[in-house]
Amino acid sequence: MKQLKLFLKKLFKRHYLDKKSVTLNHKRIYILPTQRGLNFALLVALLLVISFVYNNNLAYLLSFLLASVFFITILHTFKSLAGLIISVSKAHSAYVSEDVVVDIYLDNPSILERFNLTLNLNNTKTIDLPATQKRLVTLNSPTLKRGWHYCEPITLACQYPFGLFKAWSVLHFEVKALVYPKPSTENNPFPELAGEQAQQGNITKGHSDFYGLRDYQEGDSIRDIHWKSMAKGQGLHSKDYRGDLLTELWLDYSQTFGYDSEQRLSQLCRWLIDADNSGLQYGFILVGLTLQPSSGSCHFKKCLTALALF
Amino acid sequence: MQTTLNNLVNAANQIILGKEAQIRLALCCLLSKGHLLIEDIPGVGKTTLSHTLAKLLGLNYQRIQFTSDILPADIIGCSIFNTEKHEFSFHKGPIFNQMILADEINRSTPKAQSALLEAMEEQQVTVEGKTYQLSTPFFVIATQNPNHQIGTFPLPESQLDRFLMRIELGYPDYKAERSLLMGENRQQLISCLKPQITAEKLALIQKNCAKIHASSPLLDYIQAIINYSRESADYNEGLSPRAGLGLLTAAKTWAFMENRDAVLPEDVQVVLPAVAAHRLKHGSTNAEEIVAPLINKVAIP
Amino acid sequence: MVLKNNQRTLVFLLSSIGLITFPHFWHIPLSIITFFYALLLWRFIGIWKSHWLPHKIIVLLIMLGGIALLLNHFRSFLGRDAGTSLFVIALALKLLEIKKDRDLYLICYLAFIVASSQFLFGQSMLMALYILLVCCALFTSLIIINSQQSKPVVAIKKSATILAQALPMTLVLFFLFPRIQTPDWVFLNDTNTNAITGLSDTLDPGSITSLALSPELAFRVKFENNNIPPPRQRYWRGPVYSYTDGKRWTESQQYINPSYMDTPKYKGKAYKYTLLLEPQIKNWIYTLDMPAQFSSGLYKNPRHQLLTQKQSNNRREYQLVSYPHYNTGYITKAEFRENTQLPYPASQKIITFIKQLKGFNSSPEDFIKTLLDYFRTEDFYYTLKPPLMKQKPIETFLFENRRGFCSHYATTFVYLMRVAHIPARVIGGYQGGEFNSIGKFLEVRQADAHAWAEVWLENKGWTRVDPTAAVAPERIERGVDINKQIAQGLVNFMSINNSNAYSWFKKSHQLLQSLDYNWQRWVIHYDTGNQANFLSSLGIKNLKIMLYWMMGLIGFITLCLTIYLFKNNDTSIDKASFYYQKFCKKLAKVGLQRQPNEGANDFYTRISQRFPTQKHQFKVITALYNQQRYGKQPTKKVLQQLQKTVNQFKIKVNIK
Repeated sequence: MKQLKLFLKKLFKRHYLDKKSVTLNHKRIYILPTQRGLNFALLVALLLVISFVYNNNLAYLLSFLLASVFFITILHTFKSLAGLIISVSKAHSAYVSEDVVVDIYLDNPSILERFNLTLNLNNTKTIDLPATQKRLVTLNSPTLKRGWHYCEPITLACQYPFGLFKAWSVLHFEVKALVYPKPSTENNPFPELAGEQAQQGNITKGHSDFYGLRDYQEGDSIRDIHWKSMAKGQGLHSKDYRGDLLTELWLDYSQTFGYDSEQRLSQLCRWLIDADNSGLQYGFILVGLTLQPSSGSCHFKKCLTALALF
Repeated sequence: MQTTLNNLVNAANQIILGKEAQIRLALCCLLSKGHLLIEDIPGVGKTTLSHTLAKLLGLNYQRIQFTSDILPADIIGCSIFNTEKHEFSFHKGPIFNQMILADEINRSTPKAQSALLEAMEEQQVTVEGKTYQLSTPFFVIATQNPNHQIGTFPLPESQLDRFLMRIELGYPDYKAERSLLMGENRQQLISCLKPQITAEKLALIQKNCAKIHASSPLLDYIQAIINYSRESADYNEGLSPRAGLGLLTAAKTWAFMENRDAVLPEDVQVVLPAVAAHRLKHGSTNAEEIVAPLINKVAIP
Repeated sequence: MVLKNNQRTLVFLLSSIGLITFPHFWHIPLSIITFFYALLLWRFIGIWKSHWLPHKIIVLLIMLGGIALLLNHFRSFLGRDAGTSLFVIALALKLLEIKKDRDLYLICYLAFIVASSQFLFGQSMLMALYILLVCCALFTSLIIINSQQSKPVVAIKKSATILAQALPMTLVLFFLFPRIQTPDWVFLNDTNTNAITGLSDTLDPGSITSLALSPELAFRVKFENNNIPPPRQRYWRGPVYSYTDGKRWTESQQYINPSYMDTPKYKGKAYKYTLLLEPQIKNWIYTLDMPAQFSSGLYKNPRHQLLTQKQSNNRREYQLVSYPHYNTGYITKAEFRENTQLPYPASQKIITFIKQLKGFNSSPEDFIKTLLDYFRTEDFYYTLKPPLMKQKPIETFLFENRRGFCSHYATTFVYLMRVAHIPARVIGGYQGGEFNSIGKFLEVRQADAHAWAEVWLENKGWTRVDPTAAVAPERIERGVDINKQIAQGLVNFMSINNSNAYSWFKKSHQLLQSLDYNWQRWVIHYDTGNQANFLSSLGIKNLKIMLYWMMGLIGFITLCLTIYLFKNNDTSIDKASFYYQKFCKKLAKVGLQRQPNEGANDFYTRISQRFPTQKHQFKVITALYNQQRYGKQPTKKVLQQLQKTVNQFKIKVNIK
């Protein structure tokens, strides 16, 4: 069975890519009996033998009925795929060894309800699609290395109604996503900061402007406690100060450590994530590329892209 | 009936300048028997809007200022010992009015918030084992400051879901601001307003709104929007079934206000930011931005 | 009760299996059917209490038990009953061992085999309908298993649709698939309980009386060109009783060499007909008096009775030709001896009686006439309940009781003839038959059973004489009213005018009979010979052409189905959308593309800014579209209007 599958895969391999959106028609849909279908054919043969041995016309009639149903199921299975429109929306970026999530839209423009549609990439999803509905399906594609990741062809299959036949279509979309390096699990501190007051582990704290009150957390300095609210019986609050005391944080490839470039990139990636999570402003230096300090998701993406394509 | 409603909107326009869209949405919300949440910075006219609506609809009106030390009893009422009769008698709180302005709801503690919201949901309050029906119609307009302001207890999602709509007022534009500066005192203007509609008529309108036809392609569209919000990567969590129902009800009322007998996809699109934005988790805080993917990416069937 | 998906699947599957096995209650031993339903019930309970299901070892024990049960009853796995029981037991055992979807499929397949085995026991139309319905349930189970379909109604609809669509192809296969004559499989010969008793090989006065109350069908006859003989000629000739011991009459065991016999001459009108005979215990064929030509597999014995070579348990069809007027020619010595046989010399009383009627000195014809007149004029009665005549039955009947049924009259008549040295014999068979005006065939029932006499006359040969006709001419002219006769236990004849109150009842009865007749002829009895006849009447002469036809018709049906399935079956709401899309396409040509998320009104606003001159047209189309697609009641009129306006619509591009 496995060899057959491999052979079929080879047979249907294509050397050109599909457009972004594909309407399934007779040119795109293949259909073959399943194992169950072959067993059903055997059943029909057995019933024919019984009818012949007993020369029983009603048994003949039943065998012919089953044979006809078997034959007509081909049309119905085909019909359950025909006319569907499948399109790739986008593939979400991921870190190495995470799965790239691919958003696929399955559109049923007809008034026929579709059942049991199976989409397969690395994982398999089965959905029902009511008439004139469009559905978003997310599939995963595993990643192994950094850089552009091209997804395998997507298979859309259906065995409705009886599971005797399987209709399927292989879709060769160009689905690519950026794969960022895997963030290092080692919790290394940020590189030395250019500013003089920066202390490791307490970077977010400056002491210039009162920013607001927040809940007391263990480890907050006694000096920061807002005693007035405590006196009012509202519990412990700490005063929060924010300031632009931090001079720039530079995340620099040359300051990373590790055995090889991959490890160093992974360390850099980790820093990027940490810095973004803490809402810091940071600059980014990679060999031959310098990004001025900034923050926000756009900047973060830019840095990650640089890492991925390094 | 539509003319009555238009008169009502026009009268409100005289008080709150340049905010016709918001006034219409607020009215739509009230006609759909939903509760309204107005979220904006102080001083843009949240209170004025609610006061104006109450006056124009001829409802009795009470404002509850939510502070950090307000107690549920301050909202619902409490039993007081009557020394003459030697028994406890229940003194009704401000919630027993037809329209309530819950001002700055997120300043109070969750306990007080939930007291109000429970009453909103159930249309009745239970004090010491006795159940009291609230008046009908019963509208709550709550205002809240943006969540990032200091000293606030943001409403949890489950509570937000109970408001049919959330609208933002925003600053008035240049022209409106000028007339505001030049014009009379708003409070005085409000006190001069006369009710435009009777309670019976209001009830009739509400009944008629619910009768507006929603065809199956339209329901498909609403379902597609809900499904998109549930399955797309744009949102962490999708819209609840209650949100879907709210969306349909609001769209029906909107279609009624537009003098149509059937809901069109456009009606859904108009009310969508107000109905859906506060129920979705999204990076942005602007309602239009939050629902933009829903409007732009979901095709009209 | 809330069921999970897989529970629902099981409930559906188990119920349909319970239904499919149900008719076997009457077919296979009770212990086996009990075994099956016990396991089914166990499995049913196991849906909710899965820990109650048996362990592997217990399943093995149960299996051994099942095999023991089977061997105990049949001592083999071959044959119809044993084979069916085997499948039923296998199905029951498989039920206890459901692990994967594959097991469910196997169960379904086994159930189909059990369904097919039902037909080995009975082939009635009702059974076929029942099995068709249960097959629908089984296919529904397949859908539910395969797709975890949570709405059974959708699945039922789907399977019913597919079955309905499969019917034309089934019929083509049924009629055109080449049938091969099956050899007689020795090992399959099970005892058949279907065969009906009919006439027995001894005729005593009570034997036909018992049949007179049976409404069972004996045979049906379809005449070619609807050329039906009149009632008084409808004598269906069966066994010939020529030996008597004084009380009983039996078939003669004497050998008559047919080569000494004269060849009969037939004259007058020929009746060509098809006889569909119900299963018989005897190998007798009942034919219209007198058969001249007959299909192969039959032979005529020297007493002019038709017989089959082999005795058959099934309903059989025969093609026959009979002539009501014939002359069998001279009588051989052996025949004469056989047909004047008397057990003991006639008593003085009888001889005196014959002398009175001048039986010894007048011609046989005259004697027959006098005797019949005697029966007619004296107070003889035709009755279903004659008094018992144990001693000297003939004399008691003739001189004392004078009440009797056809067999009394026939035997007495033949006895008297033989005493007067005239060769005579008693013939058993049926007389009459009811004409089914819907199916245009004659139905002959057991209640039509009759006995009459044959006398050999010079120059005429064997001649039929029916003494009953002298006593009760209505019996011959009108036939028996079976329903009344059974209800009252008395002789009842058909009333002359049939248009009485219960004719609708009769009509529906006839309709059912006619349906059954066609069912028998076209479905149950469609064998090699029938197929060849039927197809050659359509011009299909040989196997090759037959196969071509089969392929061609299947191809044609497939083509029709494909067109039917894939044609654009839009509803009117979607048609509104279709025309609106057409409108949008026209606008797209000038660069105004409607976004998929853009409502019609919004689009209207946008396009009317670009083409203000055609604003009105846009407005009309948009309004019609909104009304049809989203409005309360979409109507055909609005749709037509929309179609018209869209088709007329043209963009006027201003060339600046």
